Amino acid sequence: MKNIFKRTTLSDRQEAAVRKTLSNLRAQRRNRFRILACIDGSDESFSSVRAAAQLAVGDDTDVIVLYVRPIDQGLHSGGLQVRLARQNMMEAGFELPGVKHLKRALEVLKEEGLDVSDWPLVTEHQDAWGDPAGDNKAEYRSPSGRSVVLKLKTAPDVAVGILDQYELGPYNLMILGEPSHWRGDFKAFFNAGVVQTVANMAPCSVLVARSSAERHGFFICTDGSSRSMQAVRRSAVLAHTLGEPITLFSVAEVESGRPAAEEAVSNAKALLKAMKITVAETKTAIGNAVDEIVEMGSLYKIIVVCDEGRSRWQRLFKKSIASEVTKRARVSVLDVR
Amino acid sequence: MITDSTSFVLARDSLLAHEPAVGVSRFRRRGYQRYRHLRSYVDLSLLWKRRWFIITMIVGFSLMTVPAPYGLSHQGQIVLCMSIMATMLFISEAVPLPTVPLLIIIGEVLLLGVDPTKVAQSLMTDSVLFIMGSLMLAVAVVKQRLDKRIAWWIVRMTGTNVYWISFGITTVCGVLAAFIGEHTVAAMMLPVGVTLITLTSNDPKKVHNLAAVILFSISYGCSIAGVATPSGGARNAIMIGYWHDFFYNAADPATQRYLMDYVHWAIYTFPMFIARLPIVAALLIFTFRPETTDMSRAISRLRTQVSMQGPMRGNEWMTILIFAITITCWVAFSSSVGLGTIAIAGTAAFLVFGLVRWEDINAGVNWGVVLLYAAAISLGVQMKSTGAAEWVANGVIHGMQMIGAGSDLAFNTAIALLTVGVTNTMTAGAAVAVLGPVVLKTAVAAGEDPLRVGFLTAIASAFGYLTPAAQPAFTIIYASGYLKSSDFFKIGIRMMVLSFVVLILTATFYWPLLP
Repeated sequence: MKNIFKRTTLSDRQEAAVRKTLSNLRAQRRNRFRILACIDGSDESFSSVRAAAQLAVGDDTDVIVLYVRPIDQGLHSGGLQVRLARQNMMEAGFELPGVKHLKRALEVLKEEGLDVSDWPLVTEHQDAWGDPAGDNKAEYRSPSGRSVVLKLKTAPDVAVGILDQYELGPYNLMILGEPSHWRGDFKAFFNAGVVQTVANMAPCSVLVARSSAERHGFFICTDGSSRSMQAVRRSAVLAHTLGEPITLFSVAEVESGRPAAEEAVSNAKALLKAMKITVAETKTAIGNAVDEIVEMGSLYKIIVVCDEGRSRWQRLFKKSIASEVTKRARVSVLDVR
Repeated sequence: MITDSTSFVLARDSLLAHEPAVGVSRFRRRGYQRYRHLRSYVDLSLLWKRRWFIITMIVGFSLMTVPAPYGLSHQGQIVLCMSIMATMLFISEAVPLPTVPLLIIIGEVLLLGVDPTKVAQSLMTDSVLFIMGSLMLAVAVVKQRLDKRIAWWIVRMTGTNVYWISFGITTVCGVLAAFIGEHTVAAMMLPVGVTLITLTSNDPKKVHNLAAVILFSISYGCSIAGVATPSGGARNAIMIGYWHDFFYNAADPATQRYLMDYVHWAIYTFPMFIARLPIVAALLIFTFRPETTDMSRAISRLRTQVSMQGPMRGNEWMTILIFAITITCWVAFSSSVGLGTIAIAGTAAFLVFGLVRWEDINAGVNWGVVLLYAAAISLGVQMKSTGAAEWVANGVIHGMQMIGAGSDLAFNTAIALLTVGVTNTMTAGAAVAVLGPVVLKTAVAAGEDPLRVGFLTAIASAFGYLTPAAQPAFTIIYASGYLKSSDFFKIGIRMMVLSFVVLILTATFYWPLLP
């Protein structure tokens, strides 16, 4: 009884043990190359799953397929009895919206050679937003430790749901399907589509996947800056691992800028050579950077651009080449961060 | 083709996964993470989310401080401002809807200075008890899982043609919704509708029109029958409550007609349901031409599923019996013991016979809705007692005279149009709660019959057809994922116009024939 008012805390040894456990858990997760493929059920969105399967080649890669289901209308206002209907549907054995799409994603993964049918399955359910359906997760884990996760998430807004999922990650790469529309920076400040919002705000690299099955190679763009060189190095490692040929590219606005562009390309080539990564070809061009990247990159499987790291406010005034290329390109675009 | 990549570790050497919360300094955070970081300290976005609440408060309190207009007391001005604020919050849904009644209760005590005990007493009337009892009864009925059997009874009568099935579903949903509330029937029948669609085809794109016909049959059947009896929806109970509070005087036998019972309500409104049944069937067929008309494949599977359930069990028969007794009591005794008491008695019977658990009722009833209508009725009574309703009514009459809407037909049309306009911005119950005091007082000032005007308002409040959020039954079928928002507008606009015409014809030619 004499200790009832005594405030006790964890001992230093216990505190250290907790930190070590947390650090180990984070390290385990950070040793995996985690790809988040987002789908909305449209045919275009499944190209993100296809791309994820193609990029997930090693045993150290995990694929997480995410479908975000907007919270049932009426539940946020608390004014309607939708909950009763949803419960009734679930008790009658109906699948939630999205489950069918996640099953199709599993088939797409199988078509691309990632067959998880023999892997042990673990499922998990969490309540979310007062919705009876909540968040649901099905994880297939291979004996070698590789995992494929199907996640059905409930959120008030699809973009917010995807970005919140990152907080549970983190992820090395987010893959999104081709956007149905992409607004200008001013309009996007107030009302942007899901792909545009996520591409602008995601903390990690984003791949906007388009159908480019017949094409090969990574078309890596650089402006010679240290930030851009980092992007070249990291994307080249990915291309090298996948066995895709690498093309380095730089643009100068006017003819007098051509030497600088050529220097940027040759520096990048030297950097990759030091890493024992072979560059298939180098290219330079004169003109508008976005036009040239979109035009010349259309022959390749993926255009790689370096994100300038600009906020939404900065984009309003300074624009963003990465964002413009993502919007206008006809093939997949990898925005490296 | 994978090259030798043993020297690289993708997670380390390729694209980086930035840790969301650790190791990144505040200024290096970007995009969403910066937003999340900011929110962890202060949620500025809440101000934006609640902007309509802030605007409502500013507008409401500003209006309260200006001098009262001629003919309106200060108390009346405050009640009117509270009504405007409640209306703005109903429309914008700036705060969860059950918050609005809480604010009304606080306002009545703090702004109007009404005794807290009297405010509490004004919240629980027979109408509110009726709404609460009906919601509880509805959960009890849904939990019996009679949906597949009901569907099987429908197709036994209609055959396998989709047009007749659609008509059968509309009729049966309508008859059920007339007694236990539209949202409940929609929630109960939705699995059946989805079963019929999925048994026809697993690809929603191939059966979009068929899905529209089946699902709209459920929601429109519920919607058109919601006004047919007092237990069809909260709006009906609210109007019955207003008639009682505004016009009934125990000492005056002439006001006995304002004590509306179950049968008299149905005599006025049931023909509206019958008249619109064929209209709904025709509209569905011509608006969405289904991809297939023969549903024999789906029906045979449904029959298999019903056969697997075995014969009707004792608890299912007991459910039907209790429900039938409740309806009989509503018809026979509502004028003497009140609608609410009978609804509560029905629920109690379900609990006594162990047909439903209290936990299910507790989870299935949206208690916020009960509170919402209780406070709205209480505010309506305050509008009457402070003279605010009468002041607005005089203004409305003056306006109608200016535009030459002096005849019965013009008056009816104007009231119905006003209600349709308001109900498309908020729920039907809220629309009747807000408009009721004004239109009833307007009817008195214009020398019109308050009963007829009350029926016009209650019925027209069910004409919110344009969006999935317009009616609970619509929201429920929209949650199935088979319909688009544009589908609701496509058929809703036609339904709204036709329903309006039927209502005006009924008010002009049928109601004057009633004693």
